[in-house]
Amino acid sequence: MVSNSDSGPLLSVQSVSKAYGSVQALREISAEFFSGEVHAVLGENGAGKSTLMGMIGGFVVPDSGALVFEGSELPVGKPFEVRGKGIRMVHQHFMLVPQLTVRENFALVQLEGGVRRLDADRLALDAVEISRELGWEVNLDARAGDLQVGAQQRVEILTALAGKARVLILDEPTAVLSPAEVDELFGVLRALTSQGVAVLLIAHKLSEVMAVADRVTVLRRGEFVASCLIGETSRNQLAEWMVGEMPGAAEIRDREFGEVIVRGHGIRAIDDRGVEVVCGIDLQVRTGEILGIGGVDGNGQVELAEVLAGVRMFSGTLEGIDEVGYIPQDRQSDGLALGMSIEENMLLGAIPNDVFSGGFVAPGKVRNRANQLIKEFQIKVGSAGDSAGSLSGGNQQKIVAARTLSQKPRAVVAVNPTRGLDLKATNYVHSRLIRAADEGAAVFLFSTDLDELAALADRTVYMDRGCFTEEFLVGPK
Amino acid sequence: MKVLIRYLVLFAGLLFVVALTLAAFGLDVVQSINYLWRGAAGDSVAIGRTLVRATPLTLAGLGIVVAWRAGMYNIGGEGQYVLGGIGGAIVAKLLVGIAPGVLSVLIILAGAGFGALLGAFAGWLQVKRGVQVVISTILMNFLALLLLEWSLRGPLQESKGQTFVSESLPNAVMLMRPDRQSDLHVGVFVALLAVVAVWVFLKFTPAGFRLRVVGESASAARANKIDVGKTQIRAMALSGGLCGLAGVIDYVGLTGRLADGFAQNWGFIAIPVALLGGLNPWGTIVSATYFGGLFAGSEVLKRFTPIGSSLVPAVQGLAVLAFVGLSYWLNQRSEAKNGSD
Repeated sequence: MVSNSDSGPLLSVQSVSKAYGSVQALREISAEFFSGEVHAVLGENGAGKSTLMGMIGGFVVPDSGALVFEGSELPVGKPFEVRGKGIRMVHQHFMLVPQLTVRENFALVQLEGGVRRLDADRLALDAVEISRELGWEVNLDARAGDLQVGAQQRVEILTALAGKARVLILDEPTAVLSPAEVDELFGVLRALTSQGVAVLLIAHKLSEVMAVADRVTVLRRGEFVASCLIGETSRNQLAEWMVGEMPGAAEIRDREFGEVIVRGHGIRAIDDRGVEVVCGIDLQVRTGEILGIGGVDGNGQVELAEVLAGVRMFSGTLEGIDEVGYIPQDRQSDGLALGMSIEENMLLGAIPNDVFSGGFVAPGKVRNRANQLIKEFQIKVGSAGDSAGSLSGGNQQKIVAARTLSQKPRAVVAVNPTRGLDLKATNYVHSRLIRAADEGAAVFLFSTDLDELAALADRTVYMDRGCFTEEFLVGPK
Repeated sequence: MKVLIRYLVLFAGLLFVVALTLAAFGLDVVQSINYLWRGAAGDSVAIGRTLVRATPLTLAGLGIVVAWRAGMYNIGGEGQYVLGGIGGAIVAKLLVGIAPGVLSVLIILAGAGFGALLGAFAGWLQVKRGVQVVISTILMNFLALLLLEWSLRGPLQESKGQTFVSESLPNAVMLMRPDRQSDLHVGVFVALLAVVAVWVFLKFTPAGFRLRVVGESASAARANKIDVGKTQIRAMALSGGLCGLAGVIDYVGLTGRLADGFAQNWGFIAIPVALLGGLNPWGTIVSATYFGGLFAGSEVLKRFTPIGSSLVPAVQGLAVLAFVGLSYWLNQRSEAKNGSD
């Protein structure tokens, strides 16, 4: 670690504020970022982390305050100029062009005006060089859209690093990664800081912050809470700063199961490319039981979940799963119709009977039901008529959870239901899944988060290349 | 309220564009707008003229709304309109002599049915065969127009065989006209009913809800057990049916017979009408009336000026551009105000 805190900050944020309508996203935030450090910006969903980072990246124009980089003021609202100064962003949602190859994506960011002949090889050179230095293998000729998320993120980071990066901003980079990939990423971040790069990491997982960060700044509801070196704080203190109180762990329950209600035998399914990714799975789940299904992303979990949810063709037999609530992995594309209102998104899955009036959907009842669920599931919204796309990720996921679990389905299929969620929201979703099981549902919990499986599942199986590898009991202790 | 202001701004902007266009044609702007106004709304005959033109625009516009809201970019309103007319004329020819009131109804049903079949076929092609609706419906427009020309030289030609038109419908079969002076017919109410029906369908029925979900996010629809393909084909059938209804209402309400020039581009103009209406049924009837008035007014204008008829397409084009520009501007403004994390 080459900490340059003696020589003054590389980048400082001076009393910046930003309001969106009536919501104060940031209130007079100041922070200093040093080269050679991993600086974690920690906070719950809606704390203002993304807004702050967007400001530094030039994507968000502050209402007041200033950003100073290497002693001179940074232009606001000019992402391209900011990028030119070596401040690079890796967004939570990837900005690669999926139709182009990795090489072409590398070339694209280096492309400047006046180039007459496109020489992708030459333009991509810098990124390729960096990938070699970091020991990251990438297939330059693969289409970016065909890569797994982990690999896509690598490409995204490499495009950000190309052409002399001084500051690298990562917006929740671990949300889409398996534990092994997270370790690898952290290794790379350390390598970068040793070269003097300042890494800004948006995070809300305490264990990750403790593992990789040199310094941490905590935000809560747009306000500055604390900033210190990681050695000067503890996990518990960070948690307290983040949420204002200690989060309670998911409650422990008595395990009492009923009879087997879901039975599957020899389930096989192909993915969208026509490759068989579920290769003959047998399963049995009892009422009140939470079956955890773990494994590294891309081993057929999503496809199996879709089979169970009744939205993917399969061969084999599957009984007892007609009435199923589905919490899909990708809330933005599968869980929600982002352009539609929150209240209408609450109707997806199965339109509940209580919103009808004389055979027609009654808007008043739709609104009432939405408001009830918003209250019950503690969803932060302006109005139930706002578009689902206007909400933060955690609140979006709560919409999906609320509409699915409130219907009291006999079986629940949830795929990474707390991915990208903050502590409070995670605990809440967990408690609702447990409650669904307590009320007699058979719950299928697909997760890449081992802690989550250990905390919730009565039984955990692992999926590897389309098969369950081993089955053993992991219960809440 | 916000929506209302938005539309006021839009239509004021469009009026400004019309004035600019008139000036660009070298016309006296005040005088010309006066002619336009008199032709579109000056007296009851003028209002009738506007409503008669707004009727097919409303119906076909609704057809576009239904398809586009389902994410099916139906460009085939023209062909479906023509097929509606053909379907009506076939029934009129086959069932000649039955009770006129019954015949009128059967003609209308046949027209809607023919349009629906053409729309559903295009939907089926996309869902089952991967042929984009945009492409297939454009091509079907040509097919439908050629079919019309052929049928007027063959099976549907009038019995004397002298001109290339279909047999005129007897007056008793034509839709009722409340006023002898005016072309206004009760088809206007069909359009109004259709607006209410489509609005109710989209907003208050599960099927309409599913249709909108499919249009907003096919992947979300799929993950929530909505049969995307079936919904899309049905949307196209409904869309084609409404466009066919537009054609057959013109046939049985206004022209009484088919000719080569039967379609008059209503099915195409329905697209900007629907877009101007924000792909919303009520917005569509407003913009259809606006365009209807523009057509009605320019018919009067062209009697007094040499270039009146070429004005209409120019204004249409500019109106669509102005719409795109203005909505962009309004969206920017509201985004700047709201924004999100």
